[in-house]
Amino acid sequence: MKDSRTLAFINLYAILGNLSRLCELVPEARKLIENENVSLGIQVKNGPAATLCFNNGVCTIEDGVDNCNIKLPFSSPEKFNGMIDGTVKPFPSKGFTKIGFLLNTFTKLTDILPKYLKASEEDLKNEEFFKTSTILMLHVIAEAIAQIGNEDKVGKASASYIDDGIAKLGIGDELGVGIEVKDHRLKVIHTMPDKYLSYMRFNDISLARDLFDGKVNAVAAVGLGQVRIGGMISQIDNINRILDRVALYLA
Amino acid sequence: MHKINDYSKSREYFERASKVIPSGIYGHQGPAEGCYIPVEAFPFFSEKAQGTYFWDVDGNKFIDYMCAYGPNILGYNDSDVDAAAAAQRKIGDCITAPSTKMIEFAELLVDTVATADWSFFAKNGNDVTTMAVMASRAYTHRKKIIFFKGYYHGVSPWTQKIDYAGIIEEDVCNNIYLQWNDFDAIQATFDKYKGEIAAVIGQPYMHGNFKDNTLPEKDFWQKVRKLCTDNDTILIIDDVRAGFRLDIAGSDHYFGFEADLICFCKALANGYNVSALCGKNFLKNAVSSMSYTGSYWLSAVPFAAGIACITKMREQNIPKLLNEKGTKLKEGLINTAKKHGYDLHVSGAASLFYLRLADDPTLMLHQKWIAECVKRGVFFTSHHNHFVNAALSDEDIAETIEIADEAFTEIKK
Repeated sequence: MKDSRTLAFINLYAILGNLSRLCELVPEARKLIENENVSLGIQVKNGPAATLCFNNGVCTIEDGVDNCNIKLPFSSPEKFNGMIDGTVKPFPSKGFTKIGFLLNTFTKLTDILPKYLKASEEDLKNEEFFKTSTILMLHVIAEAIAQIGNEDKVGKASASYIDDGIAKLGIGDELGVGIEVKDHRLKVIHTMPDKYLSYMRFNDISLARDLFDGKVNAVAAVGLGQVRIGGMISQIDNINRILDRVALYLA
Repeated sequence: MHKINDYSKSREYFERASKVIPSGIYGHQGPAEGCYIPVEAFPFFSEKAQGTYFWDVDGNKFIDYMCAYGPNILGYNDSDVDAAAAAQRKIGDCITAPSTKMIEFAELLVDTVATADWSFFAKNGNDVTTMAVMASRAYTHRKKIIFFKGYYHGVSPWTQKIDYAGIIEEDVCNNIYLQWNDFDAIQATFDKYKGEIAAVIGQPYMHGNFKDNTLPEKDFWQKVRKLCTDNDTILIIDDVRAGFRLDIAGSDHYFGFEADLICFCKALANGYNVSALCGKNFLKNAVSSMSYTGSYWLSAVPFAAGIACITKMREQNIPKLLNEKGTKLKEGLINTAKKHGYDLHVSGAASLFYLRLADDPTLMLHQKWIAECVKRGVFFTSHHNHFVNAALSDEDIAETIEIADEAFTEIKK
């Protein structure tokens, strides 16, 4: 069962949080914020609170809303999730003079995201687009794993069995992220970690894509040598159980 | 120097299997769950087995320390067990009315297993662990079951965890998971749920993966036994894995206490498919009242094999024999590791030894060493306890140590 509070964490940290990667990887997105200097705080009652900072072409995310100059408050996780779905219109409680950013730049930016995260077959035929889309998916999925492991009841059960240390999720030898576990709390390292306790490595980007799209099963791919696992396997095993729940939330 | 195995045919068969079988090989014998790291070092399919060896489909021969994950205790194709099974097969196996071999087998178990007043037969370990839990609930009319973290009691929904595929919260909502050897936590749980705990289920010692296996602390089981007795809670020992390798009378007997119910499978019939739940008289009526059976559960051939196997294990004092072999191997491996500057931990009972190279907490060095052993013909597995069988000779142990030595040299490069 999907929990709306967990979904709010995913929507904030995995979806909106990935605007930073979008601006890094997609020139069209970067161009939109190249002259901006705005911080947008999102505060969800009984849910997450974080600030998206847009600073001359660079987007970052910070916990909390203390330093934002536009604030969007939501009375519940459901309302915030509604904004992501497009069924709820947000009203700022702070930063009325910056409302233009919200209505124009931010809307245009968030409109680019689905193009990459729910990519069409046609767009995916373009090699560069395929790569960018898959990298973005890796980061979204990794962040969703962390949020589910930290917030979802079943995900927390999996996290309770994970030893402290970093698990590396890699595509080939160059692309990858780390999931750092401490006291059963998960945090994503959005770069390839040098040191790690365990790893799961997809042989190539096409295979990673097929796994993300649910076309290939990871267990079968291990046997075929297409996915490599090693190190503290119990870490990977439990992260995989959380990964199984990502589709439930991101479908 | 030993040759490095080639697994071309195993790979071809696996690709073929993957097309028609989910994950190619599922479960514990599959490359993912079996932690074959890297997969290239391991054979996937066997062709034949004899004694302590198996041969894969590429013709590579292995000294087998997994023993089919436990069933091989006397040696593959043991002549006495196979002769008994063959004689029974000639006259009948799966018949409308059961063979009297079932009675003989039950009598033999009652005579052999310390806590057994009766025996009930099924096919797999999971059948009898499930039955033990159901019988406990039938007898006590209670719901809650205490488990020890790191347990494995089979694959039925009640044995799995809330985050496993296909499991719903209701399947496991009466499970209470406690740390192994933590008697205070058990005591506190009994206080918290007074009159609600149907059973405590545990393996005789902790066989958990990825960490050293842990024996019970002094008096641990005796204290748990008393707590269960005082609270009318059933004490179940899952002896599916360790059964007959520690003590022919049951692993509870080995550790000096009496279970109310004890589950056997694996070594019970040297590879013939039968499992048994044995228990005390006061639970016999509860078991009689249960609706629990299966199409092949009363087949006579595995009963005949089981009788021959138990008889031979008694005659040969198998636990003592396996402990001696396991100890010899364990000492050889530890000394070889030391020679190379490695700290090899060998934990658990010698007849069910668990290996861990403690020099690298990520376990990657350990995985490399295991892989180098397998590539040279010693079938170890990365993160499961191993099994010793009676056909393992001193020469096999010497060859294993030689190969382990070569593997240590290789991982140093």
